[in-house]
Amino acid sequence: MFYAPETAPIDLPTFKSTISLPYTLTPGKSAGTFLAEMPNRRIVGTRFADGAVIAPGQDFSPVDGEEPVALVQAPETGELTAFTRTGGVVLGLVRLDGCRNAFVHKILADIYTLAVGQRVAARWSTSEQGTSITAIEGFVPAPDAPVGNVLPLDTPAEPLGVINYAMALHYDHAYGPYYGRMFDEIRQNGVVMGVRGSNADEALLPPREIDDITHKRTGTWKACADTGTIRACSLINMEVYGQTRPVPYAYAEIVLDGASTKMIHIIEIDDLETAKQTIKPGTRVRAVWTQGERKGAVSDIERFEVIGE
Amino acid sequence: MGLSKVAVLASAQTELRPAWRDAQHIDLISSVVANVFKGTGLTLDDVDFVIDSGSDVLDGRSISNCGFLGALGAHHKEEARVEEDGLWGALYGVNKIRSGASSIGLIVAYSKPSESDIDLYWSAMVEPFYQRPVGFGQKAALGIQAQRYLAAHGITDEALAAIVAKRWADAAANGKVAIDTLPDAAAVLAGDEAAWPLTDLMISRPLDGAVAVLICNEDVARRTGRPPVFITGMGTSLETHNFADRSINRLDSVAAATRMALGKAGWDKAAAEVVETSGSSVVGELLALEGLGLAATGRGAEIALDPAVNASGGALPADPIMATGLVRLAEAAKRLSTPVAAGAKAPATALVHGTGGVAMQTNCVFTLEV
Repeated sequence: MFYAPETAPIDLPTFKSTISLPYTLTPGKSAGTFLAEMPNRRIVGTRFADGAVIAPGQDFSPVDGEEPVALVQAPETGELTAFTRTGGVVLGLVRLDGCRNAFVHKILADIYTLAVGQRVAARWSTSEQGTSITAIEGFVPAPDAPVGNVLPLDTPAEPLGVINYAMALHYDHAYGPYYGRMFDEIRQNGVVMGVRGSNADEALLPPREIDDITHKRTGTWKACADTGTIRACSLINMEVYGQTRPVPYAYAEIVLDGASTKMIHIIEIDDLETAKQTIKPGTRVRAVWTQGERKGAVSDIERFEVIGE
Repeated sequence: MGLSKVAVLASAQTELRPAWRDAQHIDLISSVVANVFKGTGLTLDDVDFVIDSGSDVLDGRSISNCGFLGALGAHHKEEARVEEDGLWGALYGVNKIRSGASSIGLIVAYSKPSESDIDLYWSAMVEPFYQRPVGFGQKAALGIQAQRYLAAHGITDEALAAIVAKRWADAAANGKVAIDTLPDAAAVLAGDEAAWPLTDLMISRPLDGAVAVLICNEDVARRTGRPPVFITGMGTSLETHNFADRSINRLDSVAAATRMALGKAGWDKAAAEVVETSGSSVVGELLALEGLGLAATGRGAEIALDPAVNASGGALPADPIMATGLVRLAEAAKRLSTPVAAGAKAPATALVHGTGGVAMQTNCVFTLEV
């Protein structure tokens, strides 16, 4: 890149990765009540001290941050204030009767028949019975719908406390020329290759074009041994999200022979007390490669093991 | 006030490509950091601080700058991340130098949207209880913005397409953006629907790339042998997160940021010889031009084809999300510092605009002068 590769194709293989994030979202009182009332087919809004009503309800005014004074039941009719279509789905902004604000929802109509200001009415879903805003399937044109009224919210449902939520983000990471060769060498030859630092014989792992410390170009490629020395370690005996193997095990930062940087890997252990004696900074270790075909990944080294006396 | 003036000393960019499949973030970043010093007489040793902009969500790792410190040239230096467009990183850096605490700063912004799902990135930005479940996101917001604007001002799709085609042609001429086939206005109109009434090409195209900008105090700038480009005003402002509650057919925050920047610069109006804006859609660009005070409400299209406006091609053909505004700063500064042909009048003032968030929620404006 420093001398930009001008000829490279753009369809090189990528490293596929997914980050799955579990959440417990807290909607708060107004949104929590709105969602809890979805199975009851009531639309919950909030009234502020100046008399303004917004729907769906919020615990704060999006305009000035004021707190609401009451939950209310908003009508199911209103007017369309804007619309678009993306991915074949028509979305619009709907202002319910008696409310100050508009909010986005699906509009169940041909976009070419729509006009700003036209009357619309909520259509409740026949399939979604849960506590989601999609219990309202969308809004349909309702030219003759009478203007609805904001009502007091009679015996509101208990607001939802927390909502389990998950988001998964998918990535196609480029390897780049340096990581690309490193993983190719691991797959094809079972060799861990780095590049020499800008002014040293020891290799940097992972390899890169620019030395992190000096910001000068790195040197030539160098094969490192698959033996090395532990420089830092921790015995892991607690289960946490994202672990790839059962506890206990040792997390170790290992400097491979011939390299200057630490590589993070795992050492399997039988019991904590023995491990405390045998696994410590300075301990010599060797890589245990996986059996069978290598994939070209750090996981081709299954683990490290202590080199016995 | 005795505060130091701050200049844009140099900039470096990678080519902006749909996908840098053969380069990692660190490869793009180290390339611009190594290149930005060329011709300045300075080296990385002279840099007092590094500020970088990128998105953890786009990068697919938390606190991603920590993994990029070496490439950024930030080893054992003061480093800060601004999780906003790089123009905000520059704003932070300018203030650090103006305070007298530092004299030279390196501002870096980068993006690799090709590695992630861009619709999910935008979806992650909207409200999870009311907006996300119904499919609201960047495209829908830009579509609604455009529907209202076109309806209110009688602007035609053809007028929008002509602006888009000019932006792509200018980007191709500028040579920093990978373009396979140059679309004409007919191709813009014939494109797939992104969000009615906008076609795909009417929405800014996410690209991979990196940009570095070196800023410094007046003392250093005066020693570089060419007229310094000074940052004389800065302003920033944001809209409410709740899209439906924003003003219709206006970007109030662009106007507020512009007022702030012009006030600092002592300009009585937003007349600049170079204008670089970051519209997330072609209608967003018109709204930005109006917010900047360059055109009356609904009249942005009348100046959009002016040669002073987005001569680099702007953000429509090339939107390296989180770096787009800093690219605008780099392009505008370059135009002010490039010698012109004998007899031609050199531009002396520039307005630079950066944006971020769903339907341009946050906005930042710089004034530049030589």
